[in-house]
Amino acid sequence: MKHYSQSLAVTIAIFALYGTAFSQTDHGMHQGMKGMDGKNTGLPTPPEQFPKWMSNKTSDHLFYKPAPYNWSIRNIPAFAADMYGTGVGHGIAYEAMVTGKADRMEDSIHRSIVGVLMNPPHLPIDEGAILPTFKRKYGSLEKVFDWAHLLHFQTIDVLSHKGWSDEQKDAEIEVLWQRYASQPYAITGLPMNMEVLDSYSYSTTFRTKYPKVNALFWGYHWLQTANYDMLYRTPTNTHIPQYQVMGDRYRNVELFNTDREFMPMTGEMSPRFSKRFPYIANSFDNLHMLHDNIGDILATDTLSEAQKKEQIDIAIWRVLGSTHRGEEPGKGEPGTLHDHRYPMGMPGMGWMKGSTDEDMYMSGMGWMNMSECGHCSIALPDGDQWGATVSADGWTMMVRCMLCARDMAGETIGRAVIRAATEDPNQTLVMISDEEGNWTSNIPGIVFLEVKGDHPECNDWSRVFTSKVAFDNFVRSDDYYKDAKPLTLAEWQTRGEGTPETYRRIDRPSPYKKKGDDGGKN
Amino acid sequence: MGSKSPQHNSTNGKTMKTTILSMILVATATFGAIAPAYAHDADCPFCKTKLVQNTETQDNEVVVKFGNKKIEYRCVYCVFADQKKFSGDLIVYAPSETAGKPIILKRTAGKWSAPDGTVFLNTFKRHKDCAEQSRTFTSKVQLEKYAKANSISNAKSLTLDEMLKEVAKK
Repeated sequence: MKHYSQSLAVTIAIFALYGTAFSQTDHGMHQGMKGMDGKNTGLPTPPEQFPKWMSNKTSDHLFYKPAPYNWSIRNIPAFAADMYGTGVGHGIAYEAMVTGKADRMEDSIHRSIVGVLMNPPHLPIDEGAILPTFKRKYGSLEKVFDWAHLLHFQTIDVLSHKGWSDEQKDAEIEVLWQRYASQPYAITGLPMNMEVLDSYSYSTTFRTKYPKVNALFWGYHWLQTANYDMLYRTPTNTHIPQYQVMGDRYRNVELFNTDREFMPMTGEMSPRFSKRFPYIANSFDNLHMLHDNIGDILATDTLSEAQKKEQIDIAIWRVLGSTHRGEEPGKGEPGTLHDHRYPMGMPGMGWMKGSTDEDMYMSGMGWMNMSECGHCSIALPDGDQWGATVSADGWTMMVRCMLCARDMAGETIGRAVIRAATEDPNQTLVMISDEEGNWTSNIPGIVFLEVKGDHPECNDWSRVFTSKVAFDNFVRSDDYYKDAKPLTLAEWQTRGEGTPETYRRIDRPSPYKKKGDDGGKN
Repeated sequence: MGSKSPQHNSTNGKTMKTTILSMILVATATFGAIAPAYAHDADCPFCKTKLVQNTETQDNEVVVKFGNKKIEYRCVYCVFADQKKFSGDLIVYAPSETAGKPIILKRTAGKWSAPDGTVFLNTFKRHKDCAEQSRTFTSKVQLEKYAKANSISNAKSLTLDEMLKEVAKK
C-alpha cells in the first residue's frame, strides 16, 4: 500500500510538472484528459495575454482595396446572389443563440435561412444588421469574420474580372493576400490540424443538436470553397455555364446534405487553386473551422455566459496569424495547435483526422493521396501540362490526362465539368457534360489524341489540342505518334476504358465512422 | 515520348504499351462479353454501402450504362430502386453465375427486359448483404446452386416482373 501511494505521488508530481510545462507552451489546447469519444474533457485555457485589439471596442472597420475588378462577381449573377445569401445564415443562427431562441433552430430558424438561401439578395448584406446582439457581445469576432469574408469576395472578384490575363490575376491575388495578412485580424495561412481544432469538449455540439442547420452551413461552405476551381485560370465566358452546374448542385443537394462527415475543405473542393495559393486556402479552412467552433461553443448549454465569451476569444486567438508568427508550413509538433503539417501533395489543406503520411480521407470519396491522379493513381504532373480537374457529384479531383478525366466523369451520375490543360498554356479547356455524358466545349474544333499505353505516361498519350493544326504539329514532333488519328469530341466522348491497371484502392473505413454506425439504411 | 517521361525509358515504354495493348486485344477476343470494372473507392449511389469488386471467380459489380456514362451499383436491387434518377434508356450489366459473362438487362422507353430464362435472387434484409443476396442468374438451376454454395436459406427464384414488384413494394 505504501509502495502504491509513493508511486501515485510520483505520478501526480510528473503530471503536475508536465501540465505546467504544457500550459506554458500550448495555451488554448489540450487541457484535460481525452474522453471515450477522443475529445478533450476539459476546456481550453486562455493564453497569458490576448492581442490588445481584441478588447478594443471601436469598430475598426476595413473595406475593399480600391480596384477595377471590385464587384466583378456580378458578372455571374446567380453566383453573386448565392454568395450574398451565404452572408446571412450564420448571422441568423448566432443571433438566435444569443437571444434565447435556439430551441427554434431546426424549424423556424432553419426555414428562415433556407428562405434567404433560396431567394438570395441581389446585393451584399451587412451582417451587423442581422446579428446586432451578437455583434455587441462578440465584436472582435466580427472583425475577424468581416476581414476574412472580404478576402473571400475580393479574390473572387479578381478571378471573375474580364480583361486581365491569368498572370495579372495571380499577381493581384498575391497583393490581396499580403494586404489581408498585414492586419491583426488576419487568420493564419498556415495549415492547421483539423482534428485538433475539432476535438475540444464542446466540439461537434452544434452539428449534433442542429444537423439541418449545420447542413446549410457546410452546404454554403461547399459553395464558398468549390467556386475557386470554377474561376481559377478558366475563361470568364465559361463562368456562367459552369455555375449552372455548380449552382444546381448547391441548391438541390449540398445545402441539404446531412450525411457529410466533416466541413468541406478548400483543398478538396478547389485543388488547383489551393495548390497555387495554399495560404489562402488554409485561411479559409481555418475561418470555417472558427465558424464551427463558435457554433459549438454557443450551442453548449453547460457553458456559462462568461465561459462562452472566454472560449470564443480563445477560438479566435487560436487561428490568428499573430499566434503562429514565425512558424512554417509542413512543420510543428504533431497533434498540437502548432501542427502545420499538410497532406502529401496538398499544401493548401491542414492535417485531417486519420491522415497518414501518404493518404487522407475525403468525405463522400474515400481515402486518397492528393499527389496522385484520382483515376489512375499515378503522380500528378506539374507545369503547363498539369492535366485536368473533374467536378462531378459535388467533388473536384485532379487527374493526369483527358482519358482519366472522361472516364472518371463517366462513372459518376449527373452533369460534370472538366477543366484541362491544352497545348497552349494560355487556353484552358472547359467542358461541361449533360446527364448522359455528352460534352460541350468552350473551344470549338478541339481534337484529342488517345493512343492507349501505360498510365505512367498517360498525360503524354492522352491529350487535347485546341485545333487540328496543333494536333498535327504535336504528332509530327514524335515518331511514336506518326500514325495517330485525331479524335473529334463526338468520337472521344463515346470511349471508355474502365479501371486503369494502376489504380490503387485504399480500403480503410472512414475515420469519422463511429462503431456500429452503418449509415442508417443497412 | 520517353524524353517527356523521365521515369521511363522510351523504347521500354513503347514495348510495354504494345504488350498491354496486345493483352487487351487477346482478352477482348477471348471473353467477348463486355465486363466493365470500375474500382474507384466509392459507395453505391443508392444504398451508400461500399461497392464490391469483381474477383477472379465471381463478378459483383453491377454497371448501368446511361448514354456515355457507366455507373456502378452494389446489386440489381439498388439499380431498380434508383432507376428514377435516369430519364432515358438504360443497359445494365448484371453479374451472372459466370465471371466475365454478365446478364444484360435493358430499360427501353421505360420498359425492362431480360434474356429468356433470367431469374433473380433477392433475399437480403439489410444492404450489408445486398451484393451477395440480390443477384441475377441465367436459370433457376444456377440460382439454386449459388444459394446452396453460399448457404442462403429461403432462396426464391424471381422473374423480372416479380423482382420489379419486390422492389416497388419497399
